[in-house]
Parts: sequence; structure tokens; C-alpha cells
Amino acid sequence: MNPLELTLGIMTAVGGFVDISELVFAAKAGSKFGYALIWVFALATLGIIIFSEMSGRVAAVAKQPVFNLMRHRLGLKLGLLTLAASIVSNLITCAAEIGGVSLILNYLTGAPYVLMAIGMTAVFVTSIWVLPFQWIERVYGLLGLFMIVFAAALVAIRPPWNQIGGGFVPQVPAGLTNKELLTFGYFTVAIISAVMFPYEVYFYSSGGIEEGWGPKDMLTNRLTSVLGMALGSLLAISILASSAQLFGPVNVDPEIPGSAALEAAIPFGKWGLILALLGMLFAVAGAAVETCMANAYSISQFFGWVWGRHKKPWEAPRFTITWIILFLLALAIVLTGVDVMMLVEFAVLFSILVLPLTYLPLLVLAGDKTYMREYANGPIAKVLGWLYFAIITGAAIAAVPLFVLTSGGNG
Amino acid sequence: MRIFLLSVLLLSACSKGPNADLQYIKQARSIAAEWALVNEQAELGKLTPTYVESLHRWLRDDLQTAISSLSEPNSPYGDQMKALLAEPPDTAAFALRARAESLKQIEDGLESA
Repeated sequence: MNPLELTLGIMTAVGGFVDISELVFAAKAGSKFGYALIWVFALATLGIIIFSEMSGRVAAVAKQPVFNLMRHRLGLKLGLLTLAASIVSNLITCAAEIGGVSLILNYLTGAPYVLMAIGMTAVFVTSIWVLPFQWIERVYGLLGLFMIVFAAALVAIRPPWNQIGGGFVPQVPAGLTNKELLTFGYFTVAIISAVMFPYEVYFYSSGGIEEGWGPKDMLTNRLTSVLGMALGSLLAISILASSAQLFGPVNVDPEIPGSAALEAAIPFGKWGLILALLGMLFAVAGAAVETCMANAYSISQFFGWVWGRHKKPWEAPRFTITWIILFLLALAIVLTGVDVMMLVEFAVLFSILVLPLTYLPLLVLAGDKTYMREYANGPIAKVLGWLYFAIITGAAIAAVPLFVLTSGGNG
Repeated sequence: MRIFLLSVLLLSACSKGPNADLQYIKQARSIAAEWALVNEQAELGKLTPTYVESLHRWLRDDLQTAISSLSEPNSPYGDQMKALLAEPPDTAAFALRARAESLKQIEDGLESA
């Protein structure tokens, strides 16, 4: 197996885990609750591994991307509702990522935010137009690996490893007031949502089809899901743990995405800062591309259009026009001057509402022997799949009340 | 249960005064503390001037937004937040930490009330 085949998983995971929302939520979670939310990352990581592996397997065996399944399994009305909700969720997320990239470039170069938003949208459109799918994932996935500086920074600040290890045990910190308990609940739900963003499986399963996966690629799918997502989780947990060590004790609840870069600057100085900002830039840029493509895949698959970047742009005209329009719409949202952090919060909230509807048809089809033959879910995948479905359904029900009661985790 | 939930949501959306302002006080406290951390690290030569300048600008923008969102801007905490906004970007870290500490005391007082 060519190691470069893992780049689909790396891009999906780096763009999914350490996108703009994760940079904010992981850092805030660490400063507010120390290491007590690490277990939520671990729990959600196992969930996204299970579902991304399932979506890759379905793509390889049944040759069905997620949205195709939705229309057939949920019916037209519920399918359309899911499509509409996921378009909104992905569009807001894409706008947040474009805003995030522009902010990071502003930290790096001092160039005006609005100019950077316009310039980077042009870069995204050009890169998707020009690069074949495999190069899109390689460029954004591999350059996002600069983020490893966050794991190195955590080691360099010599954190209390026993406390970090203790963070993997499910817990609710003792002595919290009712209000703090609600905030802890909100962060739990938000982290599950941010780790299991639906666009990750839309992008990953469509990517598998773009790459022409078949039953022979089961090992690639498994390795890609496990290693890619584990890497993303490691980076997110590193950001959380450094924040617990460096920000919490001095009363900093990171307010802006750029704050996370301080975690690498404190142990490594200017080079650490620059590497961290570059890693953040490419990871968030990858997420912008991922969310926009995921949206275009969803719409095209739902309506049965010709889709894919393995075709020339003019060979899939409706798909091409869709992703260009989606980028322009996301840019328009950014240009209204809306706060990026507000976009992040709404993106996370909307995504959790879409999660159960995204994963239900996938779970049903992956267990269907008519389609999947000997590759259908075994007993362990079945139990874990339904268990996670129950978890995300519970999280989706709790999300809106917790968001309101805690003022989006700030209350 | 549904009525209870709706009442809680409605009450939390309609509340005014110091309790409604608590989230902005927390935000201002965090901004002061983060500003201090940035200035301290800049003093040690660990940050680039562009990053420092950019962070100062975004933090001050956020602080301005927090002040304009207060339901009681002419309050002791409103005054503290305005005084923080009036500080020059390169204010010494210890002075900013002192401001963060004052805001933290107000925050703790409101939370325990």
C-alpha cells in the first residue's frame, strides 16, 4: 500500500478535527475545565472512526455515497429536510473556515482581513479547478501536518502526564455549580458535534468513490480512518492539554482562534509561532475545501447529477457550478462582517442537529447484506454503531437548550 | 416539562442587569489576561511584531463589542471595561493582570450571589 493513499484520511481528519471550531473549542475546553474533557474527544474520535470506516466501506462495496443513501432510505421529504439542514450547516462552517483562514493570514502577514478572505476564496476555487482530487487531498492534508508542532509543544512544556491520562476516564469534575455543570454539558455536546461533523463522512465517502475504491481497498479504508482520525484527535487533545497548562491558570479563555498559536510560541519562540500559524492555515484551508466540496457532493448526489473531481470541470457542469456558487455564498457571509466566532458556534449547533439523520441511513445500509454481502457490519460494528447513534441523538436533543442556557458556553 | 423548558429559555433570553452582563465581564477578564500574556511573551522576544499587533487589534475589537453589548454600561464593571479599552497596546503585563484580577473579583461576586 502506498503511504500517500492515507492522505484522504489525513485531510479529512486534520480538516475535520483541527478546523476553526476545534481550535476554539479545544483551547476553551482546556482553559475552563482542565483535562476533564479529554474523554469526550476520545469518545467522539472512536465514533467518527466507526462511521468513517463504515462510509468508506459502503462507498467501496455498494459504490454508494452517503447522500444517495439518504434519498433512498429516508424518503424524499425527510431526505430533502436533511439535505437542506446539511447545506446550511456546511455553508456556515465553510464561511467560518474562510473567515478563520483570513484571520490566520492576518496574524501572519498583517494583510487586511477582507482582502485575505477574497484572495483565499480565489485560491480555493483555482486549486479545486486545477488540481486532480488526489493532489487536492495531498496538498491540504500534508501541509496541515505542520500542526504536529502542537503535539511537540505539549511535550516541551512538560505537562502532568498522569493528569492527562486521568482525563481519558469519563468524568464530570466535582464541585461545579449548576451553571458550570450546564456549561460542561454544552462543551461535551459541542465537542461531539465538532469531532463528528457530518461533512467529514460526506467528503470521505465521496473521496473513496473519487479514488475508485473497491473491496480490495478495505485495508486502506480501515487504516485511513483509524490513523487519520487518531492523528486529528491527538492534535486536538494536544491543544486542549496545552491550554489547560498555559491558559487556565492565568484566567485566559481563548477568545480568538489565533490564541492557540501561543501554545507553540511559549516553548519554541518565533519559529514555533510561525509553524503553528502555518499548520492552522493549511488545516483550516483544508476544512474550507472539505466543507464546500462536501456540500457540492451532497447536492449533486441527492439530485442524481454527474459529480466528482476525477472528471474535468466541464464534464460535470452542475457539480462545478454548485461548488463555485457555494464558495461565493460562503464568502458573501464573511463579507457581511459577521463575527467568525459566532459562525463557529452556529456551525457546531446546526451540525449536531443533522448528525442523527446523517448517520442513520449509513448505519442501516452498512448492515444490509443485500448490498454489502460479506462486508456488512459484524456484531461489534452493529453494537457500536447503534450505541453511537443513541449518543448523538441524545446530544442533538440537548444541544439547543444547552446553547441557550449557557449563552453558547460563555454563560 | 415542555412548559418548564420554555419558561427557562424565555427567562434566560429576557434577563437584564449584572447577571445578563456576566458573560461580557468574563469575556473582558479573559481579554485582559490574554493581552497580558501576549505582551509578556512579546517582551521575551517569542512573538513576531505582526502577530502581536494583529492580536492587539482583534482583542480590542472583541472588548469593544463586549462593552457595547452590556445592558448596564454605566456600572462599576462597565467602567472597568472601558478603562481596560483605554489602555495603550503595549501596557505592561502586570498592569493588565491587575485589571483582569479586578474583573475576576466582580465576576466571582456575581456568580456567588
